[in-house]
Amino acid sequence: MQVVKLSLKKANKIPIEADNINPDNFAGKTAEEIKEILIWYGNGQCPLGDFFTVEVEGKDSVENTKLVFEGDVSRVKRIGQNMTAGEIEINGNVDMHCGFGMKGGKIVINGDADSWLGCEMSGGEIILNGNASYYVGAGYRGESCGMRGGKITVNGNTKDYLGEHMCGGEIFVKGDAGLLPAISNNGGKIIIEGKATMPASEMKNGTVIIKGEVFDMLPSYKEEGTEELEGVTYRKFTGDVNAGGKGVLLIK
Amino acid sequence: MPVIKDAVCSLCGSLCDDITVTVEDNKITKIENACILGHSKFVGMFEHDRIETPMIRKDGELVPVSYEEAIEAAAKILVNSRRTLSYGWCSTSCEAISGAIQLAEETGSVIDSTANVCHGPSALAAQEKGSPSASLGEIKNRADVIVFWGCNPVHAHPRHMSRYSSFSKGFFTEKGRKGRTMVVIDVRKTDTAKIADKYVEIEQGSDLLLVTALRSIVNGHEDVVPETVAGVPRAEVLELAETLKNAKFVCIFFGMGVTQSRSKYKNGDAVSSLISDLNQHTKAVMIGMRGHYNVTGFGQVATWETGFPMAIDFARGYPYYNPGETGANDLLVREEPDAAIIAAADPGAHFPQKAVRHLARIPVIQIDPYANPTTEIADVVIPSAVVGIEAEGTAYRMDAISLRMKKLIDTKFKTDVEIVKDLTAKVRELKRGA
Amino acid sequence: MPEILIKNASVCDPVQGINCETMDICIRDGKIVDSVSGNAKVIDAEGKLTMAGGFDGHTHSAGKINVGRFINPNDARKNPVPGLSGQVARTEKTRAQVGYNTPNTYAIGYRYAKLGYTTICEAAIPLLAARHTHEEFKEIPILDKMGLSLFGSNWQVMEYIRDKEPEKLAAYIAWGLKASRGYGVKIVNPGGGEAWGWGKNVSGLYDPVPNFDVTPAEILMGLAEANERLQLPHSVHVHCNNLGKPGNYATTIETMKLFEKVKPSRDRQALHVTHVQFNAYAGTSWRDFETGAPMVADYVNGADHLTFDLGQVIFGPAVTMTADGPVEYANARMLHEKWSNQDIELEDASGVVPLFYSPKSFVNAVQWAIGLELALLVKDPWKVMFTTDSPNGGSFVNYPEAFTYLMSAKRRAEVISGFSKMALDRMVLPGIDRELDFYELAVMTRSTQSKIYSMPEKGNLKAGSDADIAIYDILPGQVDPSTEYAKVKKAFSSAAYTLKSGEVVVKDGEIEETPKGKTYWVNAKVPESVDTAMQKDIDRKFRKYYTVSKSNYMVEDMYIPKPVEISTEGVF
Repeated sequence: MQVVKLSLKKANKIPIEADNINPDNFAGKTAEEIKEILIWYGNGQCPLGDFFTVEVEGKDSVENTKLVFEGDVSRVKRIGQNMTAGEIEINGNVDMHCGFGMKGGKIVINGDADSWLGCEMSGGEIILNGNASYYVGAGYRGESCGMRGGKITVNGNTKDYLGEHMCGGEIFVKGDAGLLPAISNNGGKIIIEGKATMPASEMKNGTVIIKGEVFDMLPSYKEEGTEELEGVTYRKFTGDVNAGGKGVLLIK
Repeated sequence: MPVIKDAVCSLCGSLCDDITVTVEDNKITKIENACILGHSKFVGMFEHDRIETPMIRKDGELVPVSYEEAIEAAAKILVNSRRTLSYGWCSTSCEAISGAIQLAEETGSVIDSTANVCHGPSALAAQEKGSPSASLGEIKNRADVIVFWGCNPVHAHPRHMSRYSSFSKGFFTEKGRKGRTMVVIDVRKTDTAKIADKYVEIEQGSDLLLVTALRSIVNGHEDVVPETVAGVPRAEVLELAETLKNAKFVCIFFGMGVTQSRSKYKNGDAVSSLISDLNQHTKAVMIGMRGHYNVTGFGQVATWETGFPMAIDFARGYPYYNPGETGANDLLVREEPDAAIIAAADPGAHFPQKAVRHLARIPVIQIDPYANPTTEIADVVIPSAVVGIEAEGTAYRMDAISLRMKKLIDTKFKTDVEIVKDLTAKVRELKRGA
Repeated sequence: MPEILIKNASVCDPVQGINCETMDICIRDGKIVDSVSGNAKVIDAEGKLTMAGGFDGHTHSAGKINVGRFINPNDARKNPVPGLSGQVARTEKTRAQVGYNTPNTYAIGYRYAKLGYTTICEAAIPLLAARHTHEEFKEIPILDKMGLSLFGSNWQVMEYIRDKEPEKLAAYIAWGLKASRGYGVKIVNPGGGEAWGWGKNVSGLYDPVPNFDVTPAEILMGLAEANERLQLPHSVHVHCNNLGKPGNYATTIETMKLFEKVKPSRDRQALHVTHVQFNAYAGTSWRDFETGAPMVADYVNGADHLTFDLGQVIFGPAVTMTADGPVEYANARMLHEKWSNQDIELEDASGVVPLFYSPKSFVNAVQWAIGLELALLVKDPWKVMFTTDSPNGGSFVNYPEAFTYLMSAKRRAEVISGFSKMALDRMVLPGIDRELDFYELAVMTRSTQSKIYSMPEKGNLKAGSDADIAIYDILPGQVDPSTEYAKVKKAFSSAAYTLKSGEVVVKDGEIEETPKGKTYWVNAKVPESVDTAMQKDIDRKFRKYYTVSKSNYMVEDMYIPKPVEISTEGVF
């Protein structure tokens, strides 16, 4: 087991781009080596050690490497980008694009996450013990496929556009979702325990289950009886009729 | 007493190019064909106070300095910055925009246009669905059904309806207004709505619901449309859908009501889809009612030079685009920038409080002919020539047709193009020296 | 300008009939000359393959491509061809680059230059939006440029043809070329652009254009007559009706036959048909769709009045962009893709739709085969211009990949081995052994363009020609392109040297200098009386129908910083 502890020396406003900070790049490295890794800070690059204190215990392979962030990293973007294995634990708030393109491994956030959490994820697991912002599990601008695999659990609320362009994987939201969750989906499964507004617009395929109150259902869904799931009866809707309509929307 | 014909009006996105300008003693004394907005620009400029000289803020007060001093001070700010926001650039020429983009690229800055608070969502919509459009003359010559959705041309684009839309007469539309059905969809009965054949009032923030309902009907699924949609009774929605489907050529013009209300870009995105669906039955296009006369131009130039129409982050040396992350307001609200250059815009007046407060904290370079609320927080101020009157250059109309704005009078002020060029040269010089 | 002496170049210059002969090339003041002084800078080509700079005679690289960029921000980060695609940070010498199918202007210039290309021809300039094309041209570094102006669905054109006014038509073409600073006459789906103004299309050469009482055949013949009367350097450049439809090969041959009676007024073809791959389909629907290339090639082999270009498909993502508005709408609906449309008042249509060519789709596989079948079944390489209709068939950065298909049956077999039986049944490519050699490749990528566009100073290495030269890191005598196609692809992807007007702009695949290229346009002279009469007609159009003033329509001088004005004299 290799554990790397990182802590920001000083809070930053200009964002740090931490796409180099993941178990893949840290496994087998010493603290000194890690401190030399370059990260972007505004329009220039600096060694990671300029911004973070780094403590390393052990030396192991990627799957057995764990990064722990102590304290707020709400201006550190792209933590865990493209990681394939290993673990990241963040004990504070985290910035945009956490877990972008994640392929495997696990990220646990004990705080709030900014937008684009798990964007374009294809594998692995993200657990957010806090609130999320916009575009959880979504795609990049202009792409038709966003999250394609893996699982995101939000033990809090999310803002708008949850899972936009999802084509695989699973998202579970314990709290409320904002506007237009599950928009333009073409696969995957989204479960929202709380409230949602205008869900599943233009869904081609996929399953969306909303247990809380639904506001402003879009006039593009056909009600087709009920479906029972884990002892609960849901109203079943299929649609979006304007997108070929093979998606399933279950609401209470 | 020169009389210049076919001058291009540089105020709104209509970009009328039939303006006749009379110049006497280097002043515009008479304007023909311009609307009240254009008139206020051409003639009104001589009644406004200009920023007379470059200034630098010293001990809290703006103090006149030479142009060279101002350029040097501005260049120093940029060279020492790690994250500059370059914002505005819409009430200026494409040539100036091109220079601004190069400057942003060289300084690793973020550059964004006023679309950020305006039609930015239209770009996002186009990136989801595409942009099914046409040049304005297609509307003039063919359209028999014209829809104004969330926009109010009577006030915002006064000559639009006579030159391009409702009242215009063209090859297939000799009857003009009489041969057309004009529909207005809005949340309140605007002055444009008052002259429409059909006014559909919708609830605030419900545009997406109405567009979706129209799509369902047009696509043969009217059974999923409930009794009321967006506050509109089902029968009226069905009737609206029929009007659109049975047109020979329908154009939907859309404005801030669509782009800035709840669910923002998804509204325009859905309208794009509706247009595509309508084309199964009739001919249909959509055109965004761009506000500033060259916000479209910024989008065009930025796209061919960087691949993206706005919100471009050059921090890592190549363009990165992600509205919501790289837009002007996104940066300011997060207090990211440590410097700003504001040109041909007025965030001081139009941005949210939090954003303006942050601007007040950081060094701000302002390039503008006129003082405005942004001047109150600027640290270096460089006055510029009024583009379209004192400086020539290219602008793009709301339908992406370009025109060349003429230089009508002489001026002592430097043009945006020159200022940006000098600033870029100074930045290079300082960087080399470092 | 300094003198350069390129020594030991293995020169392949079909215009001069030179086939991989080792020789020296002398350059002075940006031109190739017979000899240079002892002060010349020496470049030792070390026996490497040397050709004139490549000439892309049909590419969508300025104007409409901006819509493609705009709706596909996701194209920016695509990097399937490392070194020629993706996001690249700015350097001291180069601006930042993005994109693959729809790169930014700087990337277009650099990447073509890296491929050893030095001249490009923008395939379609809408007259009303011509200024935009030239604004983009200004930001494309290095390359010389020209563009083809759209006339095929233009109201004034159709009216003059309907009213049998050939002289005024020619005067209008001349004026339109001047207004748009175009080089030649482009015709896309003749008449269809106007039908699309109402959401309709024309179904063939004799289907009259609604409200204008002319047929596509009449439009083609009228414009051809005007083109030849004006003695334009290029023939009319035609994108046939019915593009993309199974069975359209018949329309293509019919169109080609129509031109048998057109007499060119210059030493060149009477007709250039573009991206024929998209117009060489047999069958009656997508279900029985199959190649129509053998029939088209058969006709072309027996004809001597036309040239064509391929429109070769490259597997992977592509972006279609064309003035053929109805085709794009149909594409978007069928493929469930984004759809952009921009009809231009009184003039033409256009559309942009991204798509994906997959070897697993039998339709795409056959499309891929058709382009190659055309190139290989047509015997005379001088009739064939190589293109992918970039980025419709795929981005130009894939040209080296495509060259390997043309030069190596083995490489083709490799790709074909991934096709389904259904695809194999619909193509004839597997049965074709022919492999192009470097000489024929040179013909298709630079030499034939010299004649097709009447540009004697381009596409060859004669004394007096522009010193636009590409040196590729390959020794032609020692490489067998048939088996060593990987080497061929590598060499053509990254020129050892590219010279533009005698300046080294690329060295070992890296950009050295970024001079501004020239823009060629044609100024055809017509008698004043005819011009005056024509102006009265278009004055009326501007007064009543256009939404811009006539005086603001013409592209102004400042948009063409390095113009090369080609004058011709109309015959009236």
